[in-house]
Amino acid sequence: MTATEALINQPYKYGFVTDIEAETLPRGLNEDIIRMISAKKNEPDFMLDFRLKAYHQWLKMKEPNWAHVGYRPIDFNNIIYYSEPKQQQEKKESLDEVDPALLETFEKLGIPLSEQKRLGNVAVDAIFDSVSVATTFKEKLAEHGVIFCSISEALQEYPELVKKYMGSVVPTGDNFFAALNSAVFSDGSFVYVPKGVECPMELSTYFRMNTDEAGQFERTLIVAEEGASVSYLEGCTAPMYDSNQLHAAVVELVALDDANIKYSTVQNWFAGDKEGKGGIYNFVTKRGLCKGNNSKISWTQVETGSAVTWKYPSCVLAGDNSVGEFYSIALTNNYQQADTGTKMIHIGKNTKSTIISKGISAGESKNSYRGLVKMGPKADGARNYSQCDSMLIGDRAEGNTFPYIQVDNNETKVEHEASTAKIGEEQLFYFLQRGISEEDAVSMIVSGFCKEVFNQLPMEFASEADKLLGLKLENSVG
Amino acid sequence: MSISVSSQDQIANQDQFLSQLIDQCQGKAKGDSTFDAWLQKRQQEAAGWVLESRMPHHKDEEWRFTDLSPLVEHHYQKRQVSEISSDSLQSFHFGEAESAKLVFVNGHYSPSLSNVKDLPAGVTIGNLANLDAQQQSKVTDYLTQQEGGEELFTALNTAGFDDTAVVWIPSNTEVETPIHLLFLSVGDDTPTLIQPRALVIAQTSSKVTIIEQYAGLSAATPYFNNPVTEMWVAANAEVNHIRLQQEELNSFQIAKTAVTQAQDSRYYSYPISLGARLSRHDFDVFQTGTQTATRLYGLTLGNGEQLSDTHSAIAFRHPHSKADQLQKNILTDRARAVFNGKIFVPQAAQLTDAAQLNRNLLLSEKAHVDTKPELNITADNVQCSHGATVSQLEAEELFYLQSRGLNRQSAANLLIDGFAAEIIKEVPVVSVQKQLFRRLANRFIS
Repeated sequence: MTATEALINQPYKYGFVTDIEAETLPRGLNEDIIRMISAKKNEPDFMLDFRLKAYHQWLKMKEPNWAHVGYRPIDFNNIIYYSEPKQQQEKKESLDEVDPALLETFEKLGIPLSEQKRLGNVAVDAIFDSVSVATTFKEKLAEHGVIFCSISEALQEYPELVKKYMGSVVPTGDNFFAALNSAVFSDGSFVYVPKGVECPMELSTYFRMNTDEAGQFERTLIVAEEGASVSYLEGCTAPMYDSNQLHAAVVELVALDDANIKYSTVQNWFAGDKEGKGGIYNFVTKRGLCKGNNSKISWTQVETGSAVTWKYPSCVLAGDNSVGEFYSIALTNNYQQADTGTKMIHIGKNTKSTIISKGISAGESKNSYRGLVKMGPKADGARNYSQCDSMLIGDRAEGNTFPYIQVDNNETKVEHEASTAKIGEEQLFYFLQRGISEEDAVSMIVSGFCKEVFNQLPMEFASEADKLLGLKLENSVG
Repeated sequence: MSISVSSQDQIANQDQFLSQLIDQCQGKAKGDSTFDAWLQKRQQEAAGWVLESRMPHHKDEEWRFTDLSPLVEHHYQKRQVSEISSDSLQSFHFGEAESAKLVFVNGHYSPSLSNVKDLPAGVTIGNLANLDAQQQSKVTDYLTQQEGGEELFTALNTAGFDDTAVVWIPSNTEVETPIHLLFLSVGDDTPTLIQPRALVIAQTSSKVTIIEQYAGLSAATPYFNNPVTEMWVAANAEVNHIRLQQEELNSFQIAKTAVTQAQDSRYYSYPISLGARLSRHDFDVFQTGTQTATRLYGLTLGNGEQLSDTHSAIAFRHPHSKADQLQKNILTDRARAVFNGKIFVPQAAQLTDAAQLNRNLLLSEKAHVDTKPELNITADNVQCSHGATVSQLEAEELFYLQSRGLNRQSAANLLIDGFAAEIIKEVPVVSVQKQLFRRLANRFIS
């Protein structure tokens, strides 16, 4: 084993299980389960109709198999579609009433929720299995008119807003996993930033999957009205189990005229052990709609976890002069498989998109970039620049790129570049020669390789993400 | 997924289409020599593959952007063509290759139009049917032996080809004259099926230049040309391969070129796509040894309603090799181009150096391009890159030339010419270069 290879094996430190009594619905999926989920959440009728419609569409769909990943078939009738901590049946008014075991869990994960410890300028919505445990800084946000709560709460308090936007970007029948999510989604975050408001703090959701063999189906909806702007971050972890858990989320973003949404993800689901046993199947549909003119949606993702990732955060650039961005780092190790990328659909005039993707694959993992840039017939003056670089560590890792470019308009310009390389012996030698250890050298090279993406993350999380990559590539120089 | 009634009809039509085509292919090798028996067996096997297949459609990743329904609309039949006069071949003449020219009309060898003389000792340039028994038995190691032979259209050709252009260059031999293989397609008043085949074998340390040309001669109704070319480049051999596709503008070509490269060999190829209403070129390069060099420099010109689809795949399997691919497309009117370039670098192919670039120039609003460069890499000690660009003529470049006194039209012409020249200038036969520049001027430069 070379020193470089030896660097990349680091135990997953979020793999503990919280021993808490959970109330779960029976395994399997049918109309009754969906009605039960909807009833448990006391949802308005339109939501139940939405779910049932999605369920019937889902029944007719086939699981997609075009991604460059392989996994054991999922038995959709052996999944627990809903699980909630028993104490948490109703959302508590104050944090004092929340089960201390839950607070402790989040504290251990580095997300303190209690008044004195919480992060100074970040509002957090903490989601444990299927329900939201707590949302911080709600009052301060309300002063500015910003709504930040769980989807379940939003359905009680702002049903009209949810009805207007949910499903408008990712329709119920969009794809197999989106349809499944639309039928059974449990909770997630809802953000609404009214006209002209610049959200005063970072918003963040932290997802924790705890129950074995339960699926997590979160649904996030963010709406930025005219001239509004918001920055949002999600983080995710799960305990280590031998079995695989399914995570099929849907995220919808809507940006109206001059609005600006920045969505960052640090995904660190359990990736399975060294032999590739266990881990999360992360099948996610994320899409943003730049509905208004001059709007902007920016995706940043740091993907380090999950056994299998299938995820393409996309931008539909409908408004004239709208801007879409995608910055991604995907790190795979051992037997992880990631097929991830983005879609930039240019519809409006003078729309611009930028794609920067960095894939690092180590061990026996597979890491594919798959992207689409589409220039519609009316997208005069549209412009795209894509760059996807892969770095391979070890000679059994696989790095692929599958960029699709479709151009229907000659007044546009598309540029795509990709490269693959490894950490060169010469580069390492250069560092060693200057007295820098091999371990530090590798982490510096990787850090430099990813810098363009780190720079896009909100400050608080950039260092966290850098540390995360560092952790994954740390220790045990042979 | 529910299937509507109309698409069920379509599927039934397409299956019928295949069985009609395979009916045209039955029992071609009729002799009773060992070679004929061998060939019959290969052809029957291939016919079986065709019957097991279904027509590809847009749900198949490899055919996502190329709709074959215009092809399926017609009912194609094979037919012999009476001799055509050599006068009609004036425009398919390259001075350098005068003494090494093989002409096939609708897949049948035409001795009167061909001209082969003054070859170095041991070189064979001829058609399969006229080879002697010893030569035929040597060919069995190569003919129909490339990978991918079970793919639908390749199998269809194998099941039904009538004759084969055979070029055999023995070891340590350099053929200085370019060898011109001209495959003429002559249409008729009913749709015609044409299935030419070519086999090029360059043995150890030999060197040769091949001009493979497909051209249509007047077609009142569309024809369907389904050619297959197999090339074997042995150790340290060098093959330069110019491929010119100039089918009639109402007709179809679905082509396969399969190349196998042994250790230290060099294969330089220039696929140029000019004609056909719908053309598809599957271009596969397989490597069987280390230190190979591969170059694919392709150019597609599209006018009117043309659709030109290039699918290339370079499969490395051994270390220390190089590949350099540049595919350029110039499109105007409502023309469409599809490019999919795959490069496979498995773990065994360490120290591979591969570069791929696809550049597209769209000269009209309705021109359309779908491009998908694809890298598939498992080896870590490699340098691989790919890129794709799509744009119209650069406003800045036009302005620069105009600021130096050229009018807008001449500036545009100069830029189009320059865009294509990057490929055309590399073509190793001067008269082909000249002809390509003339065709470019006729089609895009006003």
